[in-house]
Amino acid sequence: MKKMNSIFIVDDDPITVFGIKKMLKPITDCSDVQIFQNGKEALEKIKERMGGILPDVIFLDINMPILDGWGFLDELISLNIQQPITINVITSSIDPLDLEKWQFYKARCPHTLNFRNKPIFKIELADLGYINVAS
Amino acid sequence: MKAVENIDQNYLIKQLPTPTAFVGNSGVVMDASDSWLEIFGLVPTKKKRKLNILDFFPEAKDFQNNNALSIRHKYISNDRICHFESSFTPWFDDKENVLGSIVQTRDITSEVEKELEIECLNNILKYKSEAAKIGWWEYDALTEEIFWCEETKRIHKAPESYRPDINEAINFYKSGFSQNRISMLFHNAMTKGQSYEVDLIILTFKGEERWVRTTGKPIFKDGKVVKLFGTFKDIHEQVMAETKIKENQQLLTTLIDSLPLNVYVKDLESKKVLVNKAECDYLGKNAEELLGKSDFDLYGKEMAQISRDEDLEVMKHLKPILGKETESAKKDGKTTYFLTSKIPRFDLDGRVNGLIGISMDISAIKKKEEELQNLISITTIQNKKLINFAHIVSHNLRSHSANFSMLLEFLNYEENKEERDKILKMLNHASDNLLETLENLNQVVDVNTKTPQLKKQLNLHDSIVKAQQNIVAFSEKNKAQIINNIPKQITVSSVPAYLDSIILNLITNAIKYKKPSVDPVITVDAFLENNQVCLRVADNGLGIDLEKNGDKVFGMYKTFHQREDAKGFGLYLVRNQIEAMGGTITIESEVDKGSVFNVYFNEENE
Repeated sequence: MKKMNSIFIVDDDPITVFGIKKMLKPITDCSDVQIFQNGKEALEKIKERMGGILPDVIFLDINMPILDGWGFLDELISLNIQQPITINVITSSIDPLDLEKWQFYKARCPHTLNFRNKPIFKIELADLGYINVAS
Repeated sequence: MKAVENIDQNYLIKQLPTPTAFVGNSGVVMDASDSWLEIFGLVPTKKKRKLNILDFFPEAKDFQNNNALSIRHKYISNDRICHFESSFTPWFDDKENVLGSIVQTRDITSEVEKELEIECLNNILKYKSEAAKIGWWEYDALTEEIFWCEETKRIHKAPESYRPDINEAINFYKSGFSQNRISMLFHNAMTKGQSYEVDLIILTFKGEERWVRTTGKPIFKDGKVVKLFGTFKDIHEQVMAETKIKENQQLLTTLIDSLPLNVYVKDLESKKVLVNKAECDYLGKNAEELLGKSDFDLYGKEMAQISRDEDLEVMKHLKPILGKETESAKKDGKTTYFLTSKIPRFDLDGRVNGLIGISMDISAIKKKEEELQNLISITTIQNKKLINFAHIVSHNLRSHSANFSMLLEFLNYEENKEERDKILKMLNHASDNLLETLENLNQVVDVNTKTPQLKKQLNLHDSIVKAQQNIVAFSEKNKAQIINNIPKQITVSSVPAYLDSIILNLITNAIKYKKPSVDPVITVDAFLENNQVCLRVADNGLGIDLEKNGDKVFGMYKTFHQREDAKGFGLYLVRNQIEAMGGTITIESEVDKGSVFNVYFNEENE
């Protein structure tokens, strides 16, 4: 049971949100799990909390209205946040273009950027920022 | 000798007008007339002198034994050559004994000169005949004999000894036209005195066909034809060469006239000196009208200058232009595309004297190329759409199936009843979503595969009115004002269901994305732009930031506003329907000001 300060789930699909929440429950102890319909809402919350408690982990969907996942990342990088965040890009896309984009952002992003293809059945510790030293 | 002693007689001899000398058997000139002595430059004198006839005629040694000796001799005095003929006649006494010879000398200078002249003329004639290869012939009407000169015989390939008669001469002509013709001409010459000159074929002695030119001219005496005189010339090589030239010319003309290319020859001033049929047809003029004309007479000034510059370049540097793509606009404005070659042309001395131009009309190919280019761009667009659609399908279906998988996995391990119910509810929800997505995709596939569907001329104004009636509850609820400014007569060609869908989507979108505090006002208008009808739907709603989202406006499942019922499907469907009919849709928008959608119906696609 990992103790986390804050976790953000940015996805407009209620089923995915339900799944992520359900999978987090057995492995984390976090009282602050925030849900956002799109990148814009999440970004506004982060800006609001600058200097305060920022999320340790973000689960990020790509296809969202108003501000999509990639747009969110652009804005996040420009905020120049020092605290390390683990960001998990969650997508059903198997388009190689999306994988290329992920690599592009991974190289630019000061935070840990993971890429997870749906369906997801389990959230690994690595997704929460814990490096498995043993392996 | 009493005769000798007779002085009177001697004096008589002296005065004889015909130069005469009396010679004794020994050759001594016993007496001579003054005229005889003068011939030999001797002055008559009373003094006796001793003259021997052999001094004058060494060749007359035997004169005593020859009773009819005749000697020709000449005497040169004062640079003038005089010719004489002296005849020796025996001189008898009364007992018929030969005492000597009487020499009578006659001046034959003019006769000899005439003879020489004739000989000379004959030689000239012969030489001329040989050199010019012109023979001659002569026919005597009285004797009915024909004479051929050597050259005439040579032309007939007849031996020199050959002596034809008139029938044989005529039989040499090839039977048929040539023989009939010469017979007639010969007959006319004889009976009517008509001259002739004609080219005919003979069969030579060796049986070989030759072209000859023969002439005939009657010679009259007392108004009657007594002779025919004519020439005879072998013109076979000439006729053959002319025939060959004619054949070659015919071949060349046929060739260049049958070529599906415009062929022309220009002189140094770029004036046309030869044009083929294709060039005439292209310019709509006959050859006579084109020869001597330059491009300045046939095309616009600008075009003509370009062509003239090319010509000069070719003729100056002797470098041909090969297969250059050119555009030619005639004075009537019709443009033709050509593949043009211009090749310098030289005279027999190798000096450039103009150019040969060959142009191939490639307008049809060019048009095909354009069509192909269009097709490629259409294909590219289609391909892009297809990839986009495949992507949408895979992404959307995949996201649903991923949800199913995840939820089913949860269900496998979940024991809590409440939690299981929740998962089942989610599964139901996922299933509904999948169905809706499938339905949407089906609609799009329908639009893209079932066209071309039957288009109809539809009244735009009435179509808007119909749509207004369909959404009357929705627009009243939102206090929407819809202004229909479309002129009543405007019609568009469209698939009826598509037009309804387009109008409905655009109007409901305009109401849906209204500003929260402002009642929506939607203005619908239509006008002609570039000969096609444009339907314009303008609102005063939220607007879209086109700089950020311009490329996504008509994308599938793209939404831009926080609304529960925003699916991101309406505009995607509208675009597909418009494009399926060959039209386009554009948007102008500014955040907080409103949006304007322009729908262009492609009327040309009929």
